[in-house]
Amino acid sequence: MTDEILAVTHLEKSFGDHQVLKDINLQIRRGEVVTIIGSSGSGKSTLLRCINLLEQPTQGEITFHGENILAPKFDITTYRAKVGMVFQSFNLFNNLNVLQNCMVGQTTVLNRTPEAAREMALAQLEKVGMTPYVNAKPSQLSGGQKQRIGIARAVSMSPEVLLFDEPTSALDPEMVDDVLDSMRALAHTGLTMVLVTHEMAFARDISDHVVFMDQGVIAEEGSAEEIFTRPQKPRTQTFLKRYLQR
Amino acid sequence: MKHLRQGLIILGLILVGWLALPANASQAASNSDTFKVGMEAGYPPFNWTQTDASNGAVQIDGSSAYAGGYDVQMAKKVAHALGKKLVVVKTSWDGLAPALTSGKIDAIIAGMSPTAKRRKTIDFSDTYYASQLVIVVRKDSKYAQATKLSDFSGAKLTGQLNTYHYTALSQIKGAIKEPAMKDFPAMRVALESGTIDGYISEKPEGISVTGANPNMTMVEFKGAQGFKTKPEDTDLAIGLRKNDPDKLKINAALAQISQKERNQLMTAAVAQQPQAKSQGNWVVSLLKQYGGMLASGTGITLLISLVGTIVGFVIGLLVGIVRTIPRGGSAWRRGLLRFVDWLLSVYIEVFRGTPMIVQAAVVYYGAAQAFGWNMNRLAAALVIVSVNTGAYLAEIMRGGIIAVDSGQFEAAHALGMTHLQTMNKIILPQAIRNSLPAVTNEFVINIKDTSVLSVISVSELFFQGSTIAGQNFQFFHTYLIISAIYLILTFTITRILRWIERKMDGPQNYNLMANQNQVSNPKTSLTN
Repeated sequence: MTDEILAVTHLEKSFGDHQVLKDINLQIRRGEVVTIIGSSGSGKSTLLRCINLLEQPTQGEITFHGENILAPKFDITTYRAKVGMVFQSFNLFNNLNVLQNCMVGQTTVLNRTPEAAREMALAQLEKVGMTPYVNAKPSQLSGGQKQRIGIARAVSMSPEVLLFDEPTSALDPEMVDDVLDSMRALAHTGLTMVLVTHEMAFARDISDHVVFMDQGVIAEEGSAEEIFTRPQKPRTQTFLKRYLQR
Repeated sequence: MKHLRQGLIILGLILVGWLALPANASQAASNSDTFKVGMEAGYPPFNWTQTDASNGAVQIDGSSAYAGGYDVQMAKKVAHALGKKLVVVKTSWDGLAPALTSGKIDAIIAGMSPTAKRRKTIDFSDTYYASQLVIVVRKDSKYAQATKLSDFSGAKLTGQLNTYHYTALSQIKGAIKEPAMKDFPAMRVALESGTIDGYISEKPEGISVTGANPNMTMVEFKGAQGFKTKPEDTDLAIGLRKNDPDKLKINAALAQISQKERNQLMTAAVAQQPQAKSQGNWVVSLLKQYGGMLASGTGITLLISLVGTIVGFVIGLLVGIVRTIPRGGSAWRRGLLRFVDWLLSVYIEVFRGTPMIVQAAVVYYGAAQAFGWNMNRLAAALVIVSVNTGAYLAEIMRGGIIAVDSGQFEAAHALGMTHLQTMNKIILPQAIRNSLPAVTNEFVINIKDTSVLSVISVSELFFQGSTIAGQNFQFFHTYLIISAIYLILTFTITRILRWIERKMDGPQNYNLMANQNQVSNPKTSLTN
């Protein structure tokens, strides 16, 4: 597959005796939006965190453009600059204002000039509708605003892949739409995205590929159409039914 | 005269001796043409500090003040006989013997008696003054008319700590033995305030205090009615290092000075000792007379605490960073990190777990005695305060770093930042801000705690204050001014650091950037 960016093969992860991920295999291709769904504790977030090495996999292989990112000599910081992450709890830098939050990675990691970084940051902040708040500190903003800045911060790094770890789970319902709108706009630009979410309607709407995880394994995967309208496995059907009843 | 048991200093020296070499590895302070003499310069009429060179006073080494008194006149005669230039080194009582054995001075001429205990560590010349014990009391008390020891039955009495004065107290039947006190100024204050009825002293000191303070008098005893004392206690001699080649010459010089001449010198010293000039407003007259000493003491205190806090802050920051490096990577790296971490814990535990006064004694006297390092007093003080502060701030900084939520570490790592970049750009600015109140606290503590450095005779504010009080006998007034200076210093420092905190926090409000985006997209209106 020539346009494959990331490949996960036979990935295992244990915390002590507790095995969280078992034999995970997954490919992510350029321009694709991959959504991982599943109940809490099924290992979705752990898989995402293994992909950018916030967790060290116990076994298996992850390749980025064919290169093994678990090799001892692999340059992790350069890799992480290319694989962005948006966190459930935003994790904005509290000592910096909104604009600086979006600039600091560009100037320190990508060595962009402050002018270029500023221009990029302002452009991304505008896309998420946060331009008026460039001088604000994170503590002065609401959750939805913070998450849109989290997205702008990640996109400012011009990543090849952007990982979203339950980006709307910590938000009040009325703020969720702002964030989802920003993500939808991003997906339309052709950015490769891997998304862990409980927003089923949204996942169905934007995903090219959907992965259903249960108890540390990939129970079923397929196109959004296949998973959401004709799920094959009983576990997938039970899970989706519970969500649709809400 | 006073018994040598120097508590903390000895403890420190034992530590160093145990760590390093036998303690006799000392060297002469100078085999050159100077004769360095240690004295308190605060025990009139034997020795005192004054601001000018009148009455044959000698400038104190490394200071603008002068030392005068009986001991100084004796030292001049001895130095003359040796053909050397006299240098007076102002040293606290507890620091005298360590300074001698470690080679920082050549002789002790400080009203010291050649007791058997002292003879174990240092040698003594022949006697240069013979004294007798008296009791100093208030003039208006019933004890002022006493003539024999038994008259003091029921009196609350005390004496200086670690001296035979205090042990002689047990010869008075029925007297109430109050706890021993640190020095004469303290006993004079206690007597004047009425917490004691009298203290045991020696005749010259008694003459001094009754001359300076009209409310006090001294009780002398005739023959068998007084204290039974040993000559080794009442005699004063010059303390020398063991096997000092100049001992014979010094004894020959002392033999030249007749008893009559000695009495004349003592009478002159009592008459010349500094008196408080108490005309006009006491604050103004005190400041006028001792303003220079107070200013230099304030300067030294400020210098030591400022440098100590800043250097200690840097040390604490570095230690805090190293101790929070994530444990990971190869086994070799993990092992190294664990070892460094262990070393740093030892540093923190040792310097946090021992009093600064002991550290000062160990570093200053211990290093000289064990390794022959002759450190500058101020440099030693700066090192001790910095290293001590560093040990406290290391834990404070570690706490400040841990207090930044782990999500910000993860976000920085996810952007591709290295540990160093994460620390530098994200974590430390927040950790430093979080720990600023604790740093302020440490600064204030340093300003006050530099007073313990008087053990190595650093002339900071408290040391200068004690010197002044020892001279003018205006204890309350002097210490009141000193405490006012301390309060002004700490208050000012606290305000300055509070201002820095506010500066770091930045503005409380932010301005909305009005532009077209705001107009065209109503969703961006303020939602919080």
